[in-house]
Amino acid sequence: MSKLSLRGTASSGKLNSWVEPSFGGLTESSGLSDFSQKKGQRSGEGKGKGQLFGSDTSSKRPKKRRADSGASDFRSLCIEVSPDDQDEPWVDKHRPCSQAELAVHKKKIEEVENWIRTHLDSKTIHKGGTILLLTGPSGCGKTATVRVLAKELDYQIQEWTNPSIVSEFRTDDSSFKDTFDPNSRFNSFQGTSQTGAFQEFLLRANKYNCLQMSGDSLATDRKIILVEDFPNQFYRKPTCLHDILRRFVRTGRCPLVFIVSDSLSGDRGSRLLFPKEVQEELKISNVSFNPIAPTSTMKVLSRIVAIEAGKSGGTISAPDKAALELLCSGSSGDIRSAINSLQFSSLTDHSLEKSLWAAKKGKSTAASRKAGPKPKAKSRSSRSVDTLEGSQAIGGKDASLFLFRALGKILYCKRESFEASEVPRLPGHLSEHQRDKLLVDPEVVVERSHMSGEFFTLYLQQNYVDFFSDVDDVARASDYLSDADCLTAEWSSRSTMLGYGSSVATRGLIHANSARAKADCQSSVGFKPLHKPHWLLVNKKYRENCQAAQSLFVSFCLTPVGLQTELVPYLAKLNNPMRNPAQIAFLQDVGHLPLRKFPGRLKLEALGDKDGVLLHEDSEGEDPASEALHPKETTDPDSGTGAEPTPSCSQEAGAELPMSQPQPTTTEALLEEEDLLIEEYDSD
Amino acid sequence: MQAFLKGTSSQSIKLQKDKAAGSSGEKKPKAVPWVEKYRPKCVDDVAYQEEVVAVLKKSLEGADLPNLLFYGPPGTGKTSTILAAARELYGPELYRQRVLELNASDERGIQVVRKKVKTFAQLTAAGSRPDGKPCPPFKIIILDEADSMTNAAQACLRRTMEKEARTTRFCLICNYVSRIIEPLTSRCSKFRFKPLANGIQEERILEICKKENLKYTQQGIDELVRVSEGDLRKAITYLQSAARLNADAEITESIILEIAGVVPPNVIDNLLQICHKGTFDKMQIEVKNMIDDGYAATQILNQLHDCIIEGHLNDKQKSVVAEKMAVVDKNLADGADEYLQLMSLTSVIMQQATQSS
Amino acid sequence: MSLWVDKYRPTSLAKLDYHKEQANKLKNLVQCGDFPHLLVYGPSGAGKKTRIMCLLRELYGAGVEKLRIEHQSITAPSKKKIEINTVASNYHLEVNPSDAGNSDRVVIQELIKTMAQSQQIQSSTQREFKVVLLTEVDRLTKDAQHALRRTMEKYMSTCRLILCCNSMSKVISPIRSRCLAVRVPLPSVEEVCSVLTGICKKEGLLLPAELARQIAERSGRNLRKALLMCEACRVQQYPFSADQEIPETDWEVYLRETANAIVSQQSPQRLLEVRARLYELLTHCIPPEVIMRGLVTELLGNCDGHLKGEVVQMAAHYEHRLQMGSKAIYHLEAFVAKFMAIYKKFMEDGLDNLMF
Repeated sequence: MSKLSLRGTASSGKLNSWVEPSFGGLTESSGLSDFSQKKGQRSGEGKGKGQLFGSDTSSKRPKKRRADSGASDFRSLCIEVSPDDQDEPWVDKHRPCSQAELAVHKKKIEEVENWIRTHLDSKTIHKGGTILLLTGPSGCGKTATVRVLAKELDYQIQEWTNPSIVSEFRTDDSSFKDTFDPNSRFNSFQGTSQTGAFQEFLLRANKYNCLQMSGDSLATDRKIILVEDFPNQFYRKPTCLHDILRRFVRTGRCPLVFIVSDSLSGDRGSRLLFPKEVQEELKISNVSFNPIAPTSTMKVLSRIVAIEAGKSGGTISAPDKAALELLCSGSSGDIRSAINSLQFSSLTDHSLEKSLWAAKKGKSTAASRKAGPKPKAKSRSSRSVDTLEGSQAIGGKDASLFLFRALGKILYCKRESFEASEVPRLPGHLSEHQRDKLLVDPEVVVERSHMSGEFFTLYLQQNYVDFFSDVDDVARASDYLSDADCLTAEWSSRSTMLGYGSSVATRGLIHANSARAKADCQSSVGFKPLHKPHWLLVNKKYRENCQAAQSLFVSFCLTPVGLQTELVPYLAKLNNPMRNPAQIAFLQDVGHLPLRKFPGRLKLEALGDKDGVLLHEDSEGEDPASEALHPKETTDPDSGTGAEPTPSCSQEAGAELPMSQPQPTTTEALLEEEDLLIEEYDSD
Repeated sequence: MQAFLKGTSSQSIKLQKDKAAGSSGEKKPKAVPWVEKYRPKCVDDVAYQEEVVAVLKKSLEGADLPNLLFYGPPGTGKTSTILAAARELYGPELYRQRVLELNASDERGIQVVRKKVKTFAQLTAAGSRPDGKPCPPFKIIILDEADSMTNAAQACLRRTMEKEARTTRFCLICNYVSRIIEPLTSRCSKFRFKPLANGIQEERILEICKKENLKYTQQGIDELVRVSEGDLRKAITYLQSAARLNADAEITESIILEIAGVVPPNVIDNLLQICHKGTFDKMQIEVKNMIDDGYAATQILNQLHDCIIEGHLNDKQKSVVAEKMAVVDKNLADGADEYLQLMSLTSVIMQQATQSS
Repeated sequence: MSLWVDKYRPTSLAKLDYHKEQANKLKNLVQCGDFPHLLVYGPSGAGKKTRIMCLLRELYGAGVEKLRIEHQSITAPSKKKIEINTVASNYHLEVNPSDAGNSDRVVIQELIKTMAQSQQIQSSTQREFKVVLLTEVDRLTKDAQHALRRTMEKYMSTCRLILCCNSMSKVISPIRSRCLAVRVPLPSVEEVCSVLTGICKKEGLLLPAELARQIAERSGRNLRKALLMCEACRVQQYPFSADQEIPETDWEVYLRETANAIVSQQSPQRLLEVRARLYELLTHCIPPEVIMRGLVTELLGNCDGHLKGEVVQMAAHYEHRLQMGSKAIYHLEAFVAKFMAIYKKFMEDGLDNLMF
């Protein structure tokens, strides 16, 4: 809301810069010059910027801050820097203004640009609205891309934001001035739901152009509608959205862009709102963004540091290169968070900061090994991998792992060979247990997977066998899994033991895999698909079937074991007429087993790399970050020495291509199918 | 549907008449299990636990009573003792007002300790009985099976114990004193109840036999004393069962063995023979048969243990077997499959035994 | 038409087909009028339930056969609602408290309390107590068993308990010492044969002695199973022939094939196949303990002398784990994997020995 009202109260002269993305219309203000200036500064040399804009109006500042409180995105369109502007978030100050400044990968920008170009201009050809869906983790520059393109391609953006209270629509007309055509009757919103308002917005925005506030002729009917916020109702009932979209596609006239952040919980965002069928039906194009590569983040950060340091004249401490790298890796591809952290760390007390950094330095490697480039020297000095948390102390983003990668880390268990001098040798009789140094820290991986250790172990159990070639190893691994389960079985000590349980499981699995004991013999397995665990489903079915058996055959007064192993199977062999249909159906289903063939009943559910937790496990991880593990983009000199990139990596590398994202909907559909099966039992 | 519901038993009703007639004729006035019937009525009756009896008798003569903690194996008279003492102290009328008995079958969470125990403890008690006889000015709260109370509830109890010390005495009863938290044990005088000596037990049993007019053989009584292992309640239950099951027959050794679920010694011997001489397959069949005959694995284990310890294996072999027995016992207690556990035990015995030959 | 198992179930102690001496003793017990708590134990299919029902009939007359299935809901002190099925007549109440899972203690306390306190026994009855029949006592939690021990004494005057279980080992000793334990062994092969022949005669069928013996042996002396087998034989083929194939349940066949799959190849891939088969068995309601036991039996038949000892040790180990843990598949799979490893090593050693 604040954003809207802000626009309404802004003076008309400045207003243009808000309303119209095009910089052409600005007469005197910073936008244009900034724009051009920035273009020239691509190399990251921004010394002059501070002076250049030192004279910039400070009148904008208060509004700005309000804007930020409303939305943390790159919302404003121009960069303003004034000496007393210290506390303005750098995220806004250094917002990208050109394609070149965008840290997003070129191909992605190109994709989006092409789409917008086609659909902006070919409007006359295609009657009806067209829709683009942008997905990706938060802070990977989705919105920024759209805005920058808007500027460069010269179109307007009309944006939907959720009204916080519907009644505000009535009382504060001014708040709509920019989002909606002022000519429309706001009173019509009275009492309508958010959904209604949303629909109204789409259709109206469709009809009317943005009001040309400054009266200059630049504003054309080239515009797109941007939706980032979705009314809550849609999360509950995605079909509402789909209906509205269908109408829009029929009648709409301008391109519509949705931006949805991926989150760890996977199912919430794009998949829920835009299931595959709907995407196909409505011909929604989908561009999915990847986390910003550490190198790109690094470039941006150093540019900003350069600008700020030059401008501040000493009051701001410029973090050294190592510190910047740490920030890059800590942000795990979220550039917004990286810039915020940078600002925070630069502004705090100089000396304190220095010591903190110093303390971190030694520990940082683990983080950077996971997430980004780092100097080689440090990697060697780092002994322990388990101090990862330390690096998160300063502004680090909590680097979460998508399940797929977390599993990959355990199952592929990358190792690093010891240097000859420091090898701690085991005595001869234990030599079979000799292992090279692990490159992953299992406990951290489990923690990052945003899943209880138990569930994680289940996933491991489902998938580990594929990664073993020797039966002895499998036997040992399965023994560890069995240990882990026993550790956590006792409910009274469970909370304490959970951590140990998953440690035993993960470390046991890693250790048991003797084929991967050495750093140099690890690439033998190659890529293996990962699957969702069957156990939960099987267990649920087992319990439900047992219950069904109990209630259907209660008249036989048998103990469950007798009932399930003797009566039911034999009843299936007899043709006894006294049974009711439910019993017959149950006998058909449970009493018979498919003999002499390997079962096809349980389908394997492939696990996508963005797949979150199981349906019934409630993961509230809002944090949509993923590890920035881009082997192609990384400059990590160590990645060569370690091993082949994990499958997740290779997939990630492939993810540069547009459609590399997995198709989560298919797995979802599978799951639902299974659920249906179970409901049939219920109805018995 | 009616027929459906009656799945377990067919519908012949012809037996009903004669049965009803038969059993109504011999209806007894009141059927009390002997365990209740022969529960000690006064402290003096309590067998074999001299220390605690001495303390309680002093208290009966007017001395103050400390908080009590009785512990010991089942069937040694812990509950009987305190109940008898309380009855003597208060007489039948006051008993209900003055004694609160809580056991594991009552809800005994921390809430109950807070509310029920506290409210009861806070009632004041007069120093005399309605019939004029003096009685101690305190109440007794008996917490039976205290070792199954949660630690939190026990912790809650210690404060209550101190606060109400003026008007209330606690008597905690448990099998394992180690499961009572330290602060509680330190607030109580502890009394260990010993398993009853064979002589005393025999004396009691013979007494009951006389009162109930039972026919018995001396071997039968000896065996009964042996299998009950100092647990008088068990002995009396067995005795009553033997009497009931066999109507007017003599109580003999074999009857007692059957009731106690003891595996016949020749079966155990046979099993050991197979372990020493036989093949794995024979052993498998034998173990299967024992399980099929319904013998409890723990019982087999106990008896095997006695045989092995007295057997002719050397010490090292015995220790290997004994260690395995400990594991098997624990596993059985955890609910593991009896057949598999016994098999694993016998295969270890077999392995050890064949090594020696 | 009901199953033979139910149709020919003896209804009085006098009519029981085997363990007649025990039946007589039970009869004596009932006629004394007073009646201790009973703990009836023995393997599945030995006829415990039949015996108990006969006993109840002896006590109360045919009224106990008027059964009604009730669905009770009990509210635990923690406000949790527990739903449980009970089978009751006017004189007794049968309940399997382990159905209630971890809340079994509450179920026991509440049910016995209400049962003991309700005095609505009809005047026509001869006994001043009702009977609560608790099945599967060995599956009760320790907590519930402790709760039971005092409850047993407290309501002794109005309520008798008959506890029914497969294994005494899992019943705590305080309960054992409060009950009269009645052991019901499985009938011998001969006894099973005679029951089978008798029933077939009543059905008007001719059962060859050879086939009866076959069935009795295959059933593992489990009478219920034997009767079901026999009835399945009847469906399959009549008139019987002495050497006809005795139908096995699908899951047993499936389990044997699984064991064969394990023996024929030992590799991670095979383990995955075996896992899928284990899942299949589980979804068909076969309890993990039964799977484990069946697998062990099948595998033992497939391996050599001194390997057997080792296999049994492992089986005992993992079966214990199975009871302790919460996810059966871990332990089943661990057992299979371990067996594969041992077996493979054994076979390789054997090959080496052959070569040199």
